[in-house]
Amino acid sequence: MTNATDTTTVDPITLDIIENALKNARYEMDGVVVRISLSPVIREQHDEFPMICNERGQMIVGQFGSYIPSVVEKFGGDVNEGDIFVWNDPYASKGSISHNNDWCVMLPIFHEKVLVGFSSIFGHMVDVGGTVPGSMPANARTIWEEGLRVPPVKIYSKGELNQGVLDIMLNNSRTPDMNRADLMALIAGCRTAGTRVKELCDRFGRETYMTACDMLLARTREAMRVVIRKYIPEEPVSFTDYVDDDGLGNGPFKMTLTISRRGDVAVFDWTGTDAQAEGPINFHIHEGLCKLFFGVYMIMSFDPSVLFNEGFYDLFEIVLPEGSLLNPRFPAALSNRLNTHTRFFDCQAGALGKFVPQLSMAAGYGTSPHFIFSGTDKDNKYFQLMELLFGGVPGRPKGDGFDGHAWWPLFSATPIEYIENYYPVLIERYQPIQDSGGPGLHRGGAGIEKVYRLLERGQVSIHDDREVVPPWGINGGLHGGTSSKWVIKNGETEPTRIPSKIDNLKVNPGDRVVFKTAGSGGWGDPLERAAEIVARDVRYGLVSREQAEKSYGVILTEDNEADLAATAKLRDATKKERGEPPAFDFGYTPPERQAAE
Amino acid sequence: MRLGVDVGGTFTDLLLHDEKGRRTFQAKTPSTPEDQSIGVVEGVKLICEKAGISPADIDLILHGTTVATNAVLEGKGSRVGLLVTEGFEYTLHLAKAWTPGPLFGWINMEKPDPLASLADTRGIPERMNARGEVVRELDVAAATALIDDLCSSGIEALTISLMHSYANAAHERQLRDIVAQRFPDIPVSLSSEILPEFREYDRAITTVMNDYVRPIMKRYLSRIEDRLADNGVTARLHIVRSDGGLMSAAAASERPVHTVLSGPAGGVTSTMMLSRRSGFPKLLAFDMGGTSTDVAVIIDGEATISRSTEVGMFPAKVPTLDVRSVGAGGGSIADVSELTGSLRVGPRSAGARPGPVSYGRGGTEPAVSDANVVLGYLPPVLLGGEMKLDVEGARKAVANVGQQIGLSPEDAAKGIIDIANEVMLGALRVITVQRGLDPREFGLVAFGGAGPLHGNAMAELLGCYPVLVPPNPGVLCALGFLEADFRNEFVQTYIRSTVGLDPAEVWSRFAELEAKAQTWLTEQEVTEADASITYSLDLRYEQQGFEVAVPVSAADVHNKGALTQTLADFHDIHERLYGVRFTVPVELVAMRVVARGATEPVEESFAEAASTDVKAAIIETRPGYFNGAWQDTVHYDRNRLGVGSRVEGPAIIRQYDTTTVLLPAHYAEIDAHGNILIWPVSKGN
Repeated sequence: MTNATDTTTVDPITLDIIENALKNARYEMDGVVVRISLSPVIREQHDEFPMICNERGQMIVGQFGSYIPSVVEKFGGDVNEGDIFVWNDPYASKGSISHNNDWCVMLPIFHEKVLVGFSSIFGHMVDVGGTVPGSMPANARTIWEEGLRVPPVKIYSKGELNQGVLDIMLNNSRTPDMNRADLMALIAGCRTAGTRVKELCDRFGRETYMTACDMLLARTREAMRVVIRKYIPEEPVSFTDYVDDDGLGNGPFKMTLTISRRGDVAVFDWTGTDAQAEGPINFHIHEGLCKLFFGVYMIMSFDPSVLFNEGFYDLFEIVLPEGSLLNPRFPAALSNRLNTHTRFFDCQAGALGKFVPQLSMAAGYGTSPHFIFSGTDKDNKYFQLMELLFGGVPGRPKGDGFDGHAWWPLFSATPIEYIENYYPVLIERYQPIQDSGGPGLHRGGAGIEKVYRLLERGQVSIHDDREVVPPWGINGGLHGGTSSKWVIKNGETEPTRIPSKIDNLKVNPGDRVVFKTAGSGGWGDPLERAAEIVARDVRYGLVSREQAEKSYGVILTEDNEADLAATAKLRDATKKERGEPPAFDFGYTPPERQAAE
Repeated sequence: MRLGVDVGGTFTDLLLHDEKGRRTFQAKTPSTPEDQSIGVVEGVKLICEKAGISPADIDLILHGTTVATNAVLEGKGSRVGLLVTEGFEYTLHLAKAWTPGPLFGWINMEKPDPLASLADTRGIPERMNARGEVVRELDVAAATALIDDLCSSGIEALTISLMHSYANAAHERQLRDIVAQRFPDIPVSLSSEILPEFREYDRAITTVMNDYVRPIMKRYLSRIEDRLADNGVTARLHIVRSDGGLMSAAAASERPVHTVLSGPAGGVTSTMMLSRRSGFPKLLAFDMGGTSTDVAVIIDGEATISRSTEVGMFPAKVPTLDVRSVGAGGGSIADVSELTGSLRVGPRSAGARPGPVSYGRGGTEPAVSDANVVLGYLPPVLLGGEMKLDVEGARKAVANVGQQIGLSPEDAAKGIIDIANEVMLGALRVITVQRGLDPREFGLVAFGGAGPLHGNAMAELLGCYPVLVPPNPGVLCALGFLEADFRNEFVQTYIRSTVGLDPAEVWSRFAELEAKAQTWLTEQEVTEADASITYSLDLRYEQQGFEVAVPVSAADVHNKGALTQTLADFHDIHERLYGVRFTVPVELVAMRVVARGATEPVEESFAEAASTDVKAAIIETRPGYFNGAWQDTVHYDRNRLGVGSRVEGPAIIRQYDTTTVLLPAHYAEIDAHGNILIWPVSKGN
């Protein structure tokens, strides 16, 4: 660890106060951004991620981190009070952000002319140019098709706006007004953090504040060291999962993670992961982010009140094979990396969960499903609806997964009445899909079905996954349902199936798009689930009578109450025949090419 | 005579105001959670005895109640049926699809069952669009069959919440008529009446919440009216709304969702009153109780009204006084994290049982109150000698925590208090600096059982002076009720761009709302002299998700001119609140009309008996831990500190219902209204 060799120490109480104050500041950043921004993706769905760093660019509080030193280095240390940096190019920022839609803002924080830290936020812009509305072409082969790439530049230099940069950025978007407001929201959020850090320096003294930051890093590191020692086995454990396809007809793509431990250091090795894809599902991930993701998962499973920061980074060793899905070579297309991003988490849960019950979560809906509808309305006004959908949240040690909820943190659904007020669509149905939650002692969450009736001519883009490879179950839980997409042409009744990754599908008024997301895997043996709860799920329309009998061994009366005697008999017989349930239920056999390896 | 009644978790506080005699009387009786009305009636009897009056002398009873809040928090409401548009049966089940942060926040998420069960939800064939146009006609035959099935299944109340009903309520009303004809005994709430605003989940859950607590509230209110009548009380009963206004008992039975924050409203209302009376226009209300602390901002004697709040995990979109609550109070437990060795305080609370270690009721983990005991801030005997504290037990428990992090018992106790203060500071920051307000321009009113213990320290951190401790901080809520106004809001959602909008569309809707407001004022028997009506527009930049309420003058509303001034005001307010203004079009979201009926202020004359000779008020001198050392600290009896007295810190000021800590380098003075004002010595005087 690179802590400053300062001899001052901070008393434990002051340290805890500074920790609380930094946490408050970080939530204040969210509050400011959400209030000011215009795009529903940031505001209603919270696709923005803040952090506060120390003077060396190490994240003290937040959810991402690690990219600041490379930006400072790029400017040769020419970092001044009043400077604000912005960028969106994953390749020019070592994967700090992973597609061009994320605009990242960063500013240095000075206290009495001394650099004391940085604040930074990135947020998802609705459009940054490129070949399709929304800037995430499902069939892109290079990043050149995915919109304007901005390397780290100063949008404010010593407090002065660089109008040229701003104009170029906005001129390359289909939604310039929205992007302008959203960018200003990100800047306002960073400035808020700057003010708070300066106040802390005033209140406790700069030296105390900076030492406290180091101590917060050290404290989290120690917590992580204990957890790694206790829960990561020295013997390697591997887990493999698959991304359906890359939008160009290639796939499925294999991802393999092997975890082991050497002393205090946990090794996460992605060797065995497929080579980079031709299509845009490559996930250019920063090594530090890998470490953070593993660390957050451990912290959330063992003690959610531990502060996340970069203190523990030297306790992880990461292997990302060059030219693979997780370390693609420029100029590989990146825009739809969320499938790979999520499968990264699925592999992590599978490998860690093999030996540690507290860490065993099933697989979820496995991506961030998008629906984009754009066109020109009767008044000749351009419209672009972009909505993120949700699906089944995994069955977990604590209980059932949630039906049609967000796997991603703090995201929420855009109200249907909001969408219908602003866009020419009418939603006909919005409900969980029966039987799509993987059966288990704790049932997996169900996927959702949303039916859009389109009221104007236009085009539709869809991004989803887990259409082929279902979300797996764990500890005896079964796999969940897959996703699917359908179109029903105006006047027709028969739906036509369309791919889960598609762009510029031409639609006419009256056409319907049926968007079904995947469910999630179950946790634990479904034969152990209380029969009354299974019966309730049937009455709620979440589980069919057939699945109740087949997967849960629950026999129901005519009015959907559990027949306890018949259930006990069936469950006994089923258990005898089955034996111990398998640790994982994939519901998928990989093609020969993959299986042979 | 008017009587304010505040039912808290532990005690029911009453305050009687005799307008003619210019006297007040207070009483306190144990709350009776199994049926709050028993405790209320006991209290009424007690206070009549104290004041030497007959129950029939009381004209008006103003009652703040937690009946609705508790029903929701404890999941003990009624069985509610729900009619929604077909295809949206799972609106409550899917809720906002939200899971908490950070990444993997869902691992630990807990989610209560919806307030209306899926088994009691039916989808009705019908549909409106966003403009209120019928897209699918209501299928009356199918709807009737569904209603028959649901209403004969044992539901106790019924909510009807259809898509876009805020824009056209025709289908909701048709369904209500069908129900009224066939099931006249089932109470029905329409979402278009409870919350005529867009966002289907918020509207549905708020309306369902209304029905969830309605039968309980109705039974409670009829019980309390019966019990009062049995005891010779002939007074009218009014209930305090979450926004600090009053509503008749009959209105509260119909719309109990408006009482979900009835409890804390009293404290804020009385802070408003203190502000007007004491001449401090900007005050922070700091109400620190056993498990949580409520804070609010008062500017020019007024509190902000928020349009939404949360009751447990459920949002409720009803006007509430903008109160921020954090899980830190006198009962918050301190412990040390196993993984990081950091000291944490709350949100776990010792509650009333077992309570802090020092209460000697079996508690073993140290709470914030115990830390106050260890440092000598809380005297060993509380409540006028009725309650002895276990000082040794508290010290042992705090020492145990200190040992784990290498601190002396004193420093550990100081640490527990400092961390609790920091958590509460976060809440105060959210309501001030985060909204562009400078806390240094505010004073801080400390009340609730623990508020005056921590108020001085909070002021030192935020720089907000004076700290104001009212004469009877324990009954401040009841006092607030006595001064509450009648208040109701009338809202119409109307989402349109202001570009090219005919202002007549706005003014005609204001006229309709104003007519409703007038009718309501008449129903509440508010005299013309006491009545007032204010107007505002909810505006935002096109496609923004949050609205800003922009006041519109009565003159503008009645002149029916252009919207120019209102729009200019909007840009200014947005810039003040969020630091930016945009050049994108402004959008209209809703019109609001607020009707008020003013209430006479409580006037009290103070006995000038107590002298300004503070020596006469000294109880004893005990050790107190300040600035890292034990110091001889004088304890004063507040009742013997007369108007104009001045006490130097450090000192402890004791009274029946609370204890005030005065820190070193501060002094306290008693103002003409009997308030303690705490100032830093550096401020002069």
